[in-house]
Amino acid sequence: MKEKKKALSAQEELKQKEFQQEAVVHINALYNYALHLTMNPNDAEDLVQETYLKAYKFFNSFERGTNCKAWLFKILKNNYINKFRKNAREPGKVDYDLIKDFYHTIKDVQSDTTEAESDFFHSLLHEEVYQALQSLPEEFREVIQLCDMEGFTYEEIANMVESPIGTVRSRLYRGRKLLRAKLEDYARKHGFNTDTDE
Amino acid sequence: MNCNKAMVLMSAAIDGELTAQESDELKLHLDECPECRAEFQDAKNTKIIIRERIVRVKAPKTLVESIVRMTNVIS
Repeated sequence: MKEKKKALSAQEELKQKEFQQEAVVHINALYNYALHLTMNPNDAEDLVQETYLKAYKFFNSFERGTNCKAWLFKILKNNYINKFRKNAREPGKVDYDLIKDFYHTIKDVQSDTTEAESDFFHSLLHEEVYQALQSLPEEFREVIQLCDMEGFTYEEIANMVESPIGTVRSRLYRGRKLLRAKLEDYARKHGFNTDTDE
Repeated sequence: MNCNKAMVLMSAAIDGELTAQESDELKLHLDECPECRAEFQDAKNTKIIIRERIVRVKAPKTLVESIVRMTNVIS
């Protein structure tokens, strides 16, 4: 009896170790994803907790060495839908006060240098870029987040949002076009002329 | 290839998601079309902006610790 108990806990220890190495390493990415979905640090924390709880329970069904980050993101998204969708704002409606509060509670650790070459981009405030992104319909915003911010491939995104790759491609194209138009609106407010033929 | 089609492909191009054939076709068009070349640069810049301007934070230490603790408790 005693030996069986020992064997179980060795198995459990291995599971914990693998979980830390494969799953817990993605906690920053998950937290950021949750923050952008909920716009609220407390809700984001709860969401991440629940995601890891579920992930740990089902960890034996996860195939080691495959994309754990994608697997976790999918769990988190499902948790988000179940928990928060009912109270979510309408698509495309931006809560500007929420965004301002959100930005004031987190430290901006990014420098202002950018690889992008023109003044157009320097004129945009972080908050404005965020608002522009948040104002997009959710299906566009989500794929832009997953692609540009999290670096998932189209195939992975297709799996996460449960749509064909062609749809992901199309949403990214249309979403970016919309986003660009909104960014240009903000830049114009800063007095930047966005006409290409002056 | 016309410019409209080129623009659709550009979006996938900046993500490295074109097929070889699409990639060749786009390159051919870009070689001949300065407007689309400029548009392509704009598209790349938009992606850079998202990556650089959207704030990313570290998960709170308390959260990390709580998750590590949680996995140690569940069996």
